[in-house]
Amino acid sequence: MALDPSRFPVEEFTLANGLRVRLLQDRSLPVCSIYSFFRVGSRNERPGITGISHLFEHMMFNGSRKYGPKEFDRRLEAAGGSSNAYTSNDMTAYYEDFASDALPLVLDLESDRMAALTIDDASLARERGVVKEERRFRTDNDIDGMMDEALSALAYLAHPYRWPVVGWMSDLNRISKADCEAYFRAYYAPNNCTIWLAGDFEAGYAREEISRLYGAIPAGPKLPAVPVGEPTQKGPRRSLVQFPAQAPALLFGYRAPAGDAVDSLVLDLVETVLGHGQGSRLIRALVYGQELCVEARVGYGWRLDPGLFQVSLRLNPGVETPKAEAALYAELDKLGNEPLPAEELRRAKNLVRANLLRSLVTTNGRAHMMGQMEMMLGDWRKLLDLDDRYEAITAGDVQRVAKEIFAPHRRNVVELVPGELPESDPEDVAQAIDAHLLAGGAA
Amino acid sequence: MSALADVSLPPLRIEKEPGGLTLAAVEKRGVPLFHARISFPAGASTDPAGKTGLASFTSDLLRRGTLRRGADAVDALIEGMGAHLSVEANMDECALGLTVPYELAAAALDALLEVALEPSFPEEEVERARRQTISALQSDLDEPGTVASRALAVLGYGEGHPYGHPLAGRTRDVEGFTRDDAAQFHAARYRADGALLSLCGDASRDDLIALARARLGQDRFASFARAKSTTGPLSLAPAAYAIAARRGLTALVIHKADSTQAQLRIVAPGLSRKADNWAPAFVANAALGGGFTSLLVDAIRVERGLSYSVSSRLSMNRHAGLSLFSSFTKNETLRQLIDVALEKMRGYAASGPSADALAKSQRYLAGLFPFSLQGLEALAEQVSDSVLDGTGLESIEHYRSIITSVTAEQARAAARELSPAREGAQIVIVGDAAVAQKALEGICPVEVRPIEEFA
Repeated sequence: MALDPSRFPVEEFTLANGLRVRLLQDRSLPVCSIYSFFRVGSRNERPGITGISHLFEHMMFNGSRKYGPKEFDRRLEAAGGSSNAYTSNDMTAYYEDFASDALPLVLDLESDRMAALTIDDASLARERGVVKEERRFRTDNDIDGMMDEALSALAYLAHPYRWPVVGWMSDLNRISKADCEAYFRAYYAPNNCTIWLAGDFEAGYAREEISRLYGAIPAGPKLPAVPVGEPTQKGPRRSLVQFPAQAPALLFGYRAPAGDAVDSLVLDLVETVLGHGQGSRLIRALVYGQELCVEARVGYGWRLDPGLFQVSLRLNPGVETPKAEAALYAELDKLGNEPLPAEELRRAKNLVRANLLRSLVTTNGRAHMMGQMEMMLGDWRKLLDLDDRYEAITAGDVQRVAKEIFAPHRRNVVELVPGELPESDPEDVAQAIDAHLLAGGAA
Repeated sequence: MSALADVSLPPLRIEKEPGGLTLAAVEKRGVPLFHARISFPAGASTDPAGKTGLASFTSDLLRRGTLRRGADAVDALIEGMGAHLSVEANMDECALGLTVPYELAAAALDALLEVALEPSFPEEEVERARRQTISALQSDLDEPGTVASRALAVLGYGEGHPYGHPLAGRTRDVEGFTRDDAAQFHAARYRADGALLSLCGDASRDDLIALARARLGQDRFASFARAKSTTGPLSLAPAAYAIAARRGLTALVIHKADSTQAQLRIVAPGLSRKADNWAPAFVANAALGGGFTSLLVDAIRVERGLSYSVSSRLSMNRHAGLSLFSSFTKNETLRQLIDVALEKMRGYAASGPSADALAKSQRYLAGLFPFSLQGLEALAEQVSDSVLDGTGLESIEHYRSIITSVTAEQARAAARELSPAREGAQIVIVGDAAVAQKALEGICPVEVRPIEEFA
């Protein structure tokens, strides 16, 4: 059933410089959350400066005209607040949770860094080091991270989704202060930002203060178009990653539609049927039934451009990769070849609805969910009837979309082959992979 | 900036039932949801000797079949309502919880009680769970952070301490688990006295209490609700939780081949959740390594760019706790990270927080505290913990004034007494052994062990 609009009394307005503002009061506790969504992510990068969106996220905490280095978080924490941020392929979001009487300070801090961020060589060198450390942690020494990176590079030939959000290490070493300054001018203008404020505040005060503090920031230039083309995939693709591990692992990426496509909601249900909850098909069949995997995960995240429907299998030690792979394909084929039983469709819809409601309980959750909805679908109101649109999906829709998406020619597979880390000599890598293939491993 | 007022809890009611079960009902309006959570004194600290991991193993089996239905049917029942059943065993308790749209409250509560109180432990599920747990323990060796956590429990508390073993157990113990082990553990620990059922949702507290009593009053649950159990004490004598004193500084290196980065932990005894001086400890820790502008984050991440993540924290169980430093860095800067961490923590132990740092930490903790009461699950857990830990609701309602009234002297004492780097501290490094040994040269004695020993 649709959400009651009276529970989401959003006040919205747009400043002359293009900044979009959304206010959502909730005075039940003396706290607020604010999100600043910038429509910039790794999608807006180019080879040579991959990772700059994420690196820039770090740079945003290093001082501005009014507040010097380290002052952003020092002032915020001293006022009873905390901040964080994240960068995705499509967007960068900054948020603060804080005691409600810190709102004037938070608005001043946020508007000041949008107006006049300080970018200097010292802070760039420092954040470059921190981000490289983050890359080592999340990608170079993490099996999931390195496989995810390999999958993007395998599945996309031309689209900017090809490179990792954290960027290639060589590009992190290369990004210059001039690159950062140009990036800031282009993408951190008010007309590329939407602010969501939720919690305990006076609406009139928030409206006036936001207008006063942000109103004088000039609008930015027209943004360069993103080169979103991607050739049609004509057959299954495969990539091998060799790394010391206890057991093999597999990561699958099936070419899937963008978040605003009609079938994206069907894929949300497919994701739930396959991998959400102990009763989902892959957990039941691959983890419990056949005991092939320690873990089976399914993920379909909405993206601005066509993305990937992902399945990740971490195999039990001793399980042969082809056996796990065949078992997965059997489950995916079944979903495309047989109608989904009514109770499974009901289960998926109920889980999706409950997750939606749970995401709206906190001030941070509301600001984030509604802001993200607006960024992805262009209008936060689409959140309100989202449940009705899930309800309208039929078993036939699920079968049709599963049949289409899980076709072999849309498939990309990354296989983790346990073994010593290849040295820089490419011959070692080639020999190791040849040995794997000769031993019967799939290509 | 004005003083932060204490936070009022939503209307709630706490009742002690005749059989010893505690009921807590919290009225939470706004979104039409219902959350139920039941906690039992069935944590890993009660793992029998030679059976580490049994508490966790038993909790994993609860949903794998009940007296009324098999595992698939249990999942279908719960997930058909749109709920995810969480089953989490920690050192002190096992808690089961689920959240559903409010109109399903009665059915959801029945399902929660069925899983918690009527598990059947089918033989084939026990066999499978044993195989799966062993595979998962082996797979965990690929996660350096997880290996560090497993080692810290043993090192920090000491072998033989009730908390001195990994939560998920050791492979050699898990290999011997039987159906009887799980069934006997359940019979002994999943009992009314010491258990707490909390309900939180879009209804009045009286309606929530009435709902709990109605569901527990069904014949199927009557024996649990009415009868006190007599099987063993709820917890051990306080002396059993004392952590043996250590001298000097020592290091354990856990060798993981081909690591380009090393995980670093430094551990010393900390505080229990019942400790009277929790507020000075929270404030002192926030200034040391809790917030983003804390001393350690500033020195290691902001000033030197040595790591993406650095923190100090108090890992608190009900009867004892640890004080922890945690970070990682590339192999080339491991020695520098160790040196900076030890120097900063020792300096802080001697001086305590500055006046500015003290005020900032107090405001930081007090300002953010209400966020921990926003979600239904978080609210139910806070109320449940305050009752079971014995800290009382006033530790929630007066959190802000308690934190802001911590004096400089109290914070200094906490900084000194709880420093992760004080006398007797232990260093744990997960990474390449040769790199770690070189980085530790001249600092302290080093023991090296292969990562496989930590499965």
